[in-house]
Amino acid sequence: MNRIGTTFRHTYFQMKGQIIGWGLGLALLGLIIVPFYDIFGGQQDQFQQLIENYPEELLAFFGGDMTSVLTPIGYLKMYAFSMLPIIFGIFSVMAGSGLLLKDEEHGRLDLIVSHPVGRTSLFFGRFLGFTGAAISILLIGWLGFCILLGQSSLDMTWGQLAVPFVSLLVQLVIYAALATLLSMILPKRSLAAMITGVVLVISYFVSSLVALDDRLELAAKFLPHNYYQVVLSFQELNLTWLFALLGISMGMVLLAWWLFLCRDIRISGEGSWKLPKMLLKH
Amino acid sequence: MKESTMPHQNGDYAVKVSGLTKSYGKVQALRGVDLMIEQGEIFGFLGPNGAGKTTTIRCMLDSIRPDRGRIELLGFDPQDQPIPVQARTGYLPGEMQFYENLTAERQLRFFNDMRGNSADWDYVRQLADRLSLDLTIQIKNLSKGNKQKVGVIQALMHRPQLLLLDEPTSGLDPLMQQLVLSLLREINQEGSTIFFSSHIMSEVEQIADRVGIIRFGQIVEVADTSTLTQRALFRLTVRFKRSVELSQLSGIPGVELLSQERNMIAKFQITGDLEAFVQALGTTPVMGLETERLSLEETFLSYYKE
Repeated sequence: MNRIGTTFRHTYFQMKGQIIGWGLGLALLGLIIVPFYDIFGGQQDQFQQLIENYPEELLAFFGGDMTSVLTPIGYLKMYAFSMLPIIFGIFSVMAGSGLLLKDEEHGRLDLIVSHPVGRTSLFFGRFLGFTGAAISILLIGWLGFCILLGQSSLDMTWGQLAVPFVSLLVQLVIYAALATLLSMILPKRSLAAMITGVVLVISYFVSSLVALDDRLELAAKFLPHNYYQVVLSFQELNLTWLFALLGISMGMVLLAWWLFLCRDIRISGEGSWKLPKMLLKH
Repeated sequence: MKESTMPHQNGDYAVKVSGLTKSYGKVQALRGVDLMIEQGEIFGFLGPNGAGKTTTIRCMLDSIRPDRGRIELLGFDPQDQPIPVQARTGYLPGEMQFYENLTAERQLRFFNDMRGNSADWDYVRQLADRLSLDLTIQIKNLSKGNKQKVGVIQALMHRPQLLLLDEPTSGLDPLMQQLVLSLLREINQEGSTIFFSSHIMSEVEQIADRVGIIRFGQIVEVADTSTLTQRALFRLTVRFKRSVELSQLSGIPGVELLSQERNMIAKFQITGDLEAFVQALGTTPVMGLETERLSLEETFLSYYKE
């Protein structure tokens, strides 16, 4: 347990720059979005007209719908939370794919695993370090949203505002888990990040556009963004979805861990796939 | 060619490797490596690039998994019990990479943390002083040699029972090379076993008790350093009064003609007994003769010609 703790601590502190950068960025968004609701509310008629003039596809893209966009939660969903999984997904993808591969590709992992830490502690310490960093980012962001909440006419409590952040955290965890798993399978970190990034973007688009085209519904069911929930109470939160996503994440993490246990650690410059050569031959 | 891989006498072995095999795809890096190294020994592991030195060391530390074979380090199997092995071992990789933005001290503290703070920090400072390393400098601003010093300190700082060093003096200037070698000797005198790979023969000659030579993933020889250095491998330059037929000399078993000039100056390399060559030389008009005993490096290189 101490060894996991040591790795967790180092991973977390190595990510301090990202925690501050992403966290403050999110907090700043909250500081702008929350008071802007009053301006938005004050000019409700004009905004209603403006929104009615938006193409349906654009509204779907921003995750909004005509009926709810003027409610506090609809407003927050459209102007803040709808885009957060894709923006903060980038952090998840980069952190997840680089959890072990960054050190491996820089030739540091060989020396690190020669220390008495154990691969299991190293793996879980690092994944928990990432999770801790993601929680910290969202916590800073949540505080940014809460600071001016009292001064705005958004009728919600700090606690209610925390609920969508829980769902967002689960989204970040599942993308990080996928990126970590792919980094254990694919020969390069960039490839793992790229594929997870593609899944992230497709997931966002398919889930957003399903409102316009029913045929996308089946595909959306297999994508994480479909289960992203912007609601204001735990009663409204679909816990089955939440725990299912967490379960799938856990499954991917366990598979990645098993692959990490079984594999050779590469030193810088070593590859593991001969695919490019094979492709060149044919 | 392969002699005994057993150490001098029976005792506790720090390293036992038997039948170690490892492939990278179609490339067979190790083809049944056998090694036995006694506790307290300094063992030099020689071989050219790609011979399997680094692969052997990395198998010992569980960084890579052998296809077949058995390893025991300080009584533990590193595949089954990596942590006790790693806790008692110091490792210096051949390619040293650190976190570039950390200072040398922060980097060493990171490694110490990974070891459960088992290092004596006064000892770390003492090592840094001896190696003239400023611990406050960021890694990215250190030269290759200074990074190597950080690597040497991280390998030694917890006073390991066993040191696995992959080319420990790489990148160091000759003065520092000597200093590192003397540090290794001191640590060995305190009871540590040292297993180090190198292709710098002079350093192996200086400190190793025994030497193992690996070629194409196989141990071709394990012998006392002194046995290897005393092995009769001579190089003779012969000046003749007039042109002679050199084939009568180069045809003798164990004699190899390295170069010749107008059949009047010839350079030979002789393996084993000189008697037959000297006798044959007696029948030729010799004007001058220079002999040279080959260094371990040249002895070693002669293996790779075969």
